[in-house]
Amino acid sequence: MPTRSGQLSVAGHLSVTGLCRRFGEVVALDEVSLDIAPGELLTILGPSGSGKTTLLKVVAGFEKPDAGRVSVDGQDITAMPPARRDIGMVFQNYALFPHLTVAGNVAFPLEMRNVGRAEVARRVGETLALVELAGYGERLPRQLSGGQQQRVALARAIVFNPRLLLLDEPFGALDRKLRETMQLEVRRLQKRLGLTTIFITHDQEEALVLSDRIAVMNRGAIQQVAGTMEIYERPANDFVADFVGESNIFHGTLTEPGIVTLSSGRRLLVNRDGKVGDRLGVLMRPERFADKGANGFAAEVVEAVYLGASLKLRLACEDGLELVVRQPARGKLPVAGQRLEVGIDADAIHVF
Amino acid sequence: MKTPGIFPAVPALVLLFAFFLFPVVRMLGYSVDAGSFEWYAKALGEGLYLGVFWNTFQIALLVTLICLLLGYPVGFLIATTTPGWAVLGFIFVLLPLWTSVLVRTYAWMVLLGRNGVFNRWLIDSGIISDPLPLLHNVTGVLIGMVHVLLPYMVLPIYGAVRRLDPALVAAAEGLGASDWRIFWRIYLPLTANGIFAGSVLVFVLSLGFFITPALLGGGRVIMIAVLIEQEVRQTLNWPFAAALSAVLLAATLAVYALAQRFTQSEART
Amino acid sequence: MGAEWGAKWGAKSPTRRTVVSWVGAASAFGALRPAVAQTEPAKPSQIVVNHSGGAMGTAMRKAFFAVYEKKYGIRVVETSPADFGKLRAMVDSGNVEWDVTEIGGQDAIRATKMGLVEKIDGKIVDRSKYPAKAQSPYVFASSVYTTIIGYRSDVFKDGKHPRTWAEWWDVKTFPGARSMRNHPTDNLEFALLADGVPMDKLYPVDFDRAFKKLDQIKPHVTAWWSTGQQPAQLLLDKEVVLATGWNGRFYDIIKKGAPVEMEWGEGALKQGSFVIPKGAKNAYWAQKMLAEMSVPQAQAIYATELGYPGLNLDSLNFVDAKVKPYLPTQYLDKQFWIDDAWYAENGNKAQELWNAWMLKKA
Repeated sequence: MPTRSGQLSVAGHLSVTGLCRRFGEVVALDEVSLDIAPGELLTILGPSGSGKTTLLKVVAGFEKPDAGRVSVDGQDITAMPPARRDIGMVFQNYALFPHLTVAGNVAFPLEMRNVGRAEVARRVGETLALVELAGYGERLPRQLSGGQQQRVALARAIVFNPRLLLLDEPFGALDRKLRETMQLEVRRLQKRLGLTTIFITHDQEEALVLSDRIAVMNRGAIQQVAGTMEIYERPANDFVADFVGESNIFHGTLTEPGIVTLSSGRRLLVNRDGKVGDRLGVLMRPERFADKGANGFAAEVVEAVYLGASLKLRLACEDGLELVVRQPARGKLPVAGQRLEVGIDADAIHVF
Repeated sequence: MKTPGIFPAVPALVLLFAFFLFPVVRMLGYSVDAGSFEWYAKALGEGLYLGVFWNTFQIALLVTLICLLLGYPVGFLIATTTPGWAVLGFIFVLLPLWTSVLVRTYAWMVLLGRNGVFNRWLIDSGIISDPLPLLHNVTGVLIGMVHVLLPYMVLPIYGAVRRLDPALVAAAEGLGASDWRIFWRIYLPLTANGIFAGSVLVFVLSLGFFITPALLGGGRVIMIAVLIEQEVRQTLNWPFAAALSAVLLAATLAVYALAQRFTQSEART
Repeated sequence: MGAEWGAKWGAKSPTRRTVVSWVGAASAFGALRPAVAQTEPAKPSQIVVNHSGGAMGTAMRKAFFAVYEKKYGIRVVETSPADFGKLRAMVDSGNVEWDVTEIGGQDAIRATKMGLVEKIDGKIVDRSKYPAKAQSPYVFASSVYTTIIGYRSDVFKDGKHPRTWAEWWDVKTFPGARSMRNHPTDNLEFALLADGVPMDKLYPVDFDRAFKKLDQIKPHVTAWWSTGQQPAQLLLDKEVVLATGWNGRFYDIIKKGAPVEMEWGEGALKQGSFVIPKGAKNAYWAQKMLAEMSVPQAQAIYATELGYPGLNLDSLNFVDAKVKPYLPTQYLDKQFWIDDAWYAENGNKAQELWNAWMLKKA
């Protein structure tokens, strides 16, 4: 395999088509197809057991699919052993080699490619500087903090200019603040290097922060692939709507154009035409409620949780509907038992 | 960190003291009987005893090396294979431990003799025309001792391989390492502790071997335990036996300390 | 051949019948001695006899222990092996577990000198029929055994086998792998005999001369044996064609039909010895055990089982005629006695020289 040179590279175009993988009765991958553009960061978001890790393993070559193919820049790599795929990967717990120094870890993929000693030293130095670990080369991984360890893992995964970068829930072990810093840093680095990147997570917030696009997976199948905003605002189905962000989801029937009637009999004004009689899902994000709106709800406060920046209310409407609503936390705050009214406009309701 | 103190360890400590430390101290006392070091002078000064010590160390070292070469692949395979095969592997490794050393030694005599199963098979199949000298020499002793001691090498190596995070292997593979390089760069250094534990165990146990060398060595392979036994049971020269034992103990501890240092420095770099 | 031997030596041998009648007689005799019984110490529930183990234990149970248990109602607990070091440790610590123990010939002499053993009570143990030299006041001579030449009868046919140690050393006339004991005792004497020293001039052993002679045979000794079972096994497996060994071990495989024969010429006689450790808990009942072991009929059973005759000279009268050719006492004039007293003095030196000689590269 030719060693590609140059620190900055235009990374590959990854395409997976029709991937299937079963483990006994469990379907881990069910006809998964994805196309990832060069330089794009795509997040695979899903609960544990959704098949996202299997998908990553198939791309990296650690798992063979029962059917389907994986290709990078048009080259079929489905049967290629992992060692020859030129894919950089950051593991959940970093998988740093404990017996090698930071520099030794970062040099490892270069040594495996028989890069000359001087060149190895140069590139290790550059890459460590890139992840802001210049001067840490002689330390052992266990002498570093969690965040530093992660930078080493990242450096090791990009030092050999891989065609793809895979990140397997890399931030799970970090505390919240460090996680946010690292997320932004990874994003910055990925953009700068133009690396096609697949990022695996079960944390929808993280997915929203990092991604160009998000692929939501459940039970081995991709539910929706779209930009972050679209995923949040216009989820394709119940699962996506429920999994990404807080939501109020109801089902009803389009009784006339622009009106969905819920089972409770409540009529919601929505921005949706279509065939009368269609069964539809209705999504109302908690933060889209206001004091007034085209649709008004008179309700009793069941629970009020103060969250600093906002107030989260659980409301019980008179017709039995339960709502979660977020309001800016200012002025006199409602308390449990209090009656109040909220409203939402038709164009703030997503119908699917 | 708050600990429950040494109280829970007291029964074990008492046992250790009564059945291990006390006898060892008694033995050391015997060896400097009447405050003289004449028996040490004899043990370390006479060609016979130095020769036997040297023999013993050579044999122990060879046994350790052979056990390592055979035991690493076995421990590795058992640790990385499917659970079903692992159980089968364990049975094969541990079975010898459940058989008496004497029985196993006699079994080897049947297999390795001039007219033994092995030589007859080789001659019948035309591979050799004269029987190989496998018994009543160093070869026989090595075969017998390796057979007895192999489990002590396999088990620590198995444990070390099992403790190794599989993600490290996957990481190395993903970073472009061939199987061979994964072995040298990842498995070998990261299972060094198991290798050293197994080697020290086998080496130390080898030093004290007694029945196997006497029977399979045809009397030609003299190890120090044989001489100590003679002094204890036959000539009743207990001070000398104690001195020989003390020298053996010191040598063993030295080997242990050396290995310990080596493993620690290994883990550090 | 095995079946034929089985019939000849089987359970229907006449010895067996003599024993049964003797057991009856002995117990009847015991019942007729109420006066002695009154002065006896209390009977323990068991006594401990320590011996070499293996076939010897089986034979001792058959010949002595079963009778003793029946007669006195005291259980005989057996332990093994014989261990001089352990004997000394027991007596030194005052915790003597054994009531009777087997002991090597030279060790018995040293144990006597070291004060580790009880005196044998002549009023209880009757040794009047023993040869005078087998009546040590402290050591009970239990049986005679000898180290002799065993050979493959399918290799050395028609009486053409080594009959002397000079012939044993003659590897041209009698080619083939040999096995000898990994011990100075026997071998020093054999070497001297091979070198022309007469049987009555062996002691004190001339070490230089003996080891020089041993140098000649060393390359032809395939295996130096260390347990009594080895030489018989080595001959059975044809690992060697000539082996020195204890007559009882060869007797055992010959009984079972092995193509092996014994040559008694210039054999090294020794006596098996038992002692009562100093401070034995049941010394009186230990003496009673030695008394059982001196009964000629019982010794005959033991000799028939193992090929090791007892020293009660009357015992041969109770041995089947077919067994007699396999007992060393039939060939006393062709053999010599190992000098236990000399070994008691020089054994350590001999052992050390032997070790050094073994270590020396051939």
